[in-house]
Parts: sequence; structure tokens; C-alpha cells
Amino acid sequence: MLPQRFDQARPFATLGVVLLVWLLLPVVFKTFTRSAFFEIQAPITITDSYVVDVQNFWATKLHSQTELMAAGKETAALIATYDFSVQQNKQLGADILRLENLLNLPPMPAYRLEPARVARRDFTGWWQRLIIRKGRNYGITVGAPVVFSGGIVGRVIEVHAYTAVVDLITSPTFRVAASAEGDVRPVSYQGGINETFSAPRGTVEFVPLDISASQSEPQRLVTSGLGGVFPPGLNLGSITLLEPSTDGLFKNGEVKLDPRLNSLTEVTILVPLNPDQF
Amino acid sequence: MIRTDYRWLVVFGTNLLLLWLGGLANHYLSHFAFLGFEHCTVSLYLGGLLVTYAALRLDARSGWMSTLLTGLAADSLSALPFGTSLILFGLVHAVLLHGRQRFPREELVFAIVVALLANLFLFIALSFFLVGSNPRPATAWVRLFSDLLISQLAVAAITCWFMSLQNSIFSFLRQHPETGRRVAS
Repeated sequence: MLPQRFDQARPFATLGVVLLVWLLLPVVFKTFTRSAFFEIQAPITITDSYVVDVQNFWATKLHSQTELMAAGKETAALIATYDFSVQQNKQLGADILRLENLLNLPPMPAYRLEPARVARRDFTGWWQRLIIRKGRNYGITVGAPVVFSGGIVGRVIEVHAYTAVVDLITSPTFRVAASAEGDVRPVSYQGGINETFSAPRGTVEFVPLDISASQSEPQRLVTSGLGGVFPPGLNLGSITLLEPSTDGLFKNGEVKLDPRLNSLTEVTILVPLNPDQF
Repeated sequence: MIRTDYRWLVVFGTNLLLLWLGGLANHYLSHFAFLGFEHCTVSLYLGGLLVTYAALRLDARSGWMSTLLTGLAADSLSALPFGTSLILFGLVHAVLLHGRQRFPREELVFAIVVALLANLFLFIALSFFLVGSNPRPATAWVRLFSDLLISQLAVAAITCWFMSLQNSIFSFLRQHPETGRRVAS
């Protein structure tokens, strides 16, 4: 029989053994285990998202014919507007291609647009993530940019069989090279100011001294294209505060982000057509 | 005849249910309007509740299995380095297992107190671990404090339900959670 003193310490001895085993386990095993545990829970995680879709379907079915006709008219008007934009985009694309050939420039990275439903929003004070309902089954890749109508949503950080995890621009773990609209000099953007009673905000660092912004005259912040992940010119938010940094060489400030980021239901993933370019 | 012991699976299964419900609540709490504030967001952390039943009611072997698996399941859904919850849940489990004989561990009020204290410890430990990466730690602490407050209220409110759910499953299976012996209905 074990002495009583050891018997009392047995829980801590067990914990010590668990800790030791965990530290000695190879990383491959841990990666596999993480993926396995995520996949086990994935069907449960996304079930409620499908239930909400069914709920919306039946709610829509209850609309009267008059309402549907009115909605159809509005949609037709939107389609006409977007048709014109598509033609303009084709023209601009052809112009870019012509200039690239003329100046012998390397081609711009090409993307395939993959819309996806948001299955789960996980917005803690520690991190901000989304789980979307598309994964390896749609060729989503780790690092792919995620956007919505208001600009950048974040980047894909994990890809699973039928789901993927997106790190949001509001998360403190998210950093990207950006620039003030109309300026080519890069600044550093980081998410992380997520207060309980206000819309999310981010921070900017290394802003050149001649750039200024305030609440009344905000400066639009866009991606710089440096780093290769995000195409240039995508909207991040508006710089609403700039103050000189402690060393006086640059300015630091705050970025007001789109409040819709907290209630996203659908996003678009920019899947690189040629991942080797990145 | 050797009987397979599924007690750990019962508790692990209910913990998965709680993880799912917690995630669902956080999904809807990510954006709501409250008292004139248009963009409110809070997040619930229920980690303490995931350890309580296994540490107070189950035998050591089943309890450890359930707690460690729950830790891995929680880690796989979070942005934490894989194994963080495993170690923290394990630590809370070891402390509770060490001292549980001295307390009225089958009392519901005691379970609520334990769940609250465990949740408080886990939340603060994780916050100290993660807040360093935030560009404005002082602002982050204000948000974390409100999340903690809401989480503690939620834990206090649902511990009764969660403990009786687990008790009911064992009653349905006619099994004693600690000894594993068959009990009369």
C-alpha cells in the first residue's frame, strides 16, 4: 500500500506526468490531435448555422407575392448597376494587362472569389475569429485574404476538411502592412481595441509625420500590397487619431473599423490562383 | 465479466455540449444593442464549469480522462497554443482532487462556489498569458473585466442545470459516478 503522504500528492504527480508527456510529444502528433479534435466538433459547430439557414428559408417563403415582386424589382435594378461595373472592371483589367506588357511588369496576383457563410463568430477579449463553412473541399488555402463589402475581414489561419478559421482584423494577433489612401509609404496596422460598448478599433504605427487625421477629418487606411498576402488598395478602416510616437520619428494612432465586422454572416475568400507567387 | 467504463465519456460528452452552447451564445453576443449603445459585444468563458463535475464527483481515472480530453477539445476551438487549456484544466483538476475529501462535494452550493473560483482562476491565468499581445493592454483589461463579470454570472446561473444534467445521465444509466457500481433506480 502506498504511504498516505504520496496518496495525497498523487493528483499533482499525475499532473506532472501529463505535463512531461505533453512536452515530449512530437509536434506532428499535437498538430494531428488538434485537427482531429476540431473535426470532431465541426459538425456540431456548424449545425446551428444550417438550422438558421433553414429558418430563414421558411421565413422567406412566408413573404407575400407583392413583397417578392418588389424585392425582385430592387434586385433587377442592382443587377443592372453591377453589370455596368463588371464591364468597367473588364476594361480596367485589359488596361492593366496592356500596361504590364508595355512596361514589362510582373503580373498582379490573381485570385478566385469564393463566397462562404459564417458558421461561428468567436469575439473574446483575447482573440477575434470566425469559422466559415468552406474548407479544403473548396480549395481554401492558409493565408488567403478574406473580404466583405466594407473591405478586409481578415486572413485564413486554419483550413479543415469542410470549415476554415479566419483571424479578423479586429484581433490583436492580426498585423498587416497598410498605407494612407493616396500615399505609398507603408505603415503597420494591428487590431486589438475591442471595447464592450463601442465598435472595434485598430492601431497604426510608423505613420510618417506629414500625414494627419482626426475625428472630423479621418484618413482612409488601405492595404499597401507589401507582404504579398493582401492585394493593394483594400479598405481597412479610417484613421481617426494620430499622435507623435515617443521617439518623435513617426506617429501612432487609432483606426476606426467597420462595425459590421461584428455581425458578419457572409464573407468572400480571395483564393490565390497561383499560390507559388506568395 | 469485464465491464467497459464509459463514465469519462458521459462527462466529456456533456462538456462538448456545454462548449457548443457557450460558442453559440458567444456567436450571438458578438453584436447586440443595449441601453442605447449600438455596438455592444461580450464573450462568455465557462472553462471552470467544464472541470467541476469531473473533479468533484468522478473517480480519479475517469475524471482525469474527461478533464484532459475536454482541455484538448477546448484548445482545438481556440486561438491558444494547443495544450494550454489541457495544462490549466489539469491544474485545477489536481487541486480539486487533492482537497475534495475535506469538503461537502456533493452539495450543489459547494459545486457553484468551486465552479466560480475555477472559472475566475482560469480566466485570469489566460488573460495574463494573452494580454501581452494586445497593443493597448489597459483597454484590453477593461473589456476582459466585463467579460469576466458576465462569465461569472453565467457560471453561477447554469451550474445547477449542468450538474443536474450530468447527475441525471448517471441516474438514467443507473451508475454511480464515483464507484461505477450499478445503483437501484
